Amino acid sequence: MSSYFTVFTDESKLDINYIPASLSHRESQFNLLSKFFQFAIESPGKMAQRILIVGKVGTGKTALAKLFGVRIMQIAQEKGINVRYVHVNCRERRGSLFMILQQVILDFYPHFPKRGYSSEELLGMLLQVLDEQNVFVILGLDELETLVENEGADALYELTRIHESRFKAPQRLSLIGILRGLECLEALDESTRSTLQRNIILLEEYSKNQLRDILDARVVLAFRDGVILEETLDQIAELAEREGGNARYGIELLWRAGKYADASSLSEVSPECVRRASSSVYPTVQKDAVFSLGLHEKLFLLGLARRFKHTTQAYLTMGEAEEAYRIVCEEYDEKPRRHTQLWKYVNDLSAADVVKSKVSSDGLRGKTTLIGLPYVSAEELERELSRRLRLQ
Amino acid sequence: MVEDVFSSKGRVKILRLFVEIGELNISEIARRAGLNYATANQHLGILESAGLVLHKSFGRIRIYRLNESNPHARAVKVLIESWGTADRRKVK
Repeated sequence: MSSYFTVFTDESKLDINYIPASLSHRESQFNLLSKFFQFAIESPGKMAQRILIVGKVGTGKTALAKLFGVRIMQIAQEKGINVRYVHVNCRERRGSLFMILQQVILDFYPHFPKRGYSSEELLGMLLQVLDEQNVFVILGLDELETLVENEGADALYELTRIHESRFKAPQRLSLIGILRGLECLEALDESTRSTLQRNIILLEEYSKNQLRDILDARVVLAFRDGVILEETLDQIAELAEREGGNARYGIELLWRAGKYADASSLSEVSPECVRRASSSVYPTVQKDAVFSLGLHEKLFLLGLARRFKHTTQAYLTMGEAEEAYRIVCEEYDEKPRRHTQLWKYVNDLSAADVVKSKVSSDGLRGKTTLIGLPYVSAEELERELSRRLRLQ
Repeated sequence: MVEDVFSSKGRVKILRLFVEIGELNISEIARRAGLNYATANQHLGILESAGLVLHKSFGRIRIYRLNESNPHARAVKVLIESWGTADRRKVK
């Protein structure tokens, strides 16, 4: 093992959660965001801000918000102001206002009880905590669509109007909503929509040249000198541009190409490594969905992936899927969930486009749910899930 | 009185929880100390009137912690911490 050669110096710089020290080609949007929140440093509590960051997958929305969060906390600390940026992924919190607020409050009280109150009470408790600790929170709500889909208009209405009943009290909660498009806001009432849509930061798709710059910067951080060929980077930039100017896809491809080079004991990452990698990288949207699944959903999906690896059937019955899941549970020493819960998982996974489900019609006795895996290779999914489960 | 506070294993367990974990609500204190809710609540009342613990209310939720501004509470903390270290050493 000691003679093992790797093209990487630091793989973590290519991780989906890594936030670089500066964002190429997003400087003007960063400055705009800083301008919107200038009040938080100059006159904290005098107002609260609501901003939307809108852009397609891989256009740097999350990175922009998180980097801004880090910076504003640094500046505020230097000035002796207590500003806290809290980033919550609404999908990971199942689009529930309750779970989102709970995550914020856990940031302040890690052992805050998880049950026994409503989301309205929780909102009141959060303001109490912020008042007591004299802190101003900027709440980044990533994948805001899920909150709107799950809770309807009320949750955002409450969040945007939180200060109205607190006459003359400092305004402590600002919002940064992060979403792919503005369509989901049509479900909101006129006043909430107008409050939110006043300040929008739009992130356009990256061009090929911009993607190339982003990749160059990551290569310096993550790879040994000279192991990545120029043609390789051009090819990745081109593929990422075709994937909707998606930088995340490009970075993922870069990492995977490096992995292929390592696995083949190559000292350079060639375009051939990219070709092999690109056939195995499945769309980022589904990857996100898999990343945010709960333990038992992951185990269920792992059972499916394993079963599909050894069959030519396009669909499995619910019974077969449950059997595969129970075997996985035994392996991971987990008590299996019951049928109804698993059926809910199938619905959720289907809604997230990870699996496809339909009800059986002719040919099978009775009615059962049939589950297919048309979007991603079973082998790839199994590998990804096994990796994630090891990390849990 | 010192004997009133330390005469109960339940109260000592609760104090130990505060030293090891920090802030907790009553249900969690009860669960971790292996007590029922009412008993935990009663012990907390005694500890609070002795000035050793404090609570903050969030609606119906009360979160307790050690009252670090109280010299007795600080002494209890030192005692429990040193006891913990001694215990660990013994195990080794």
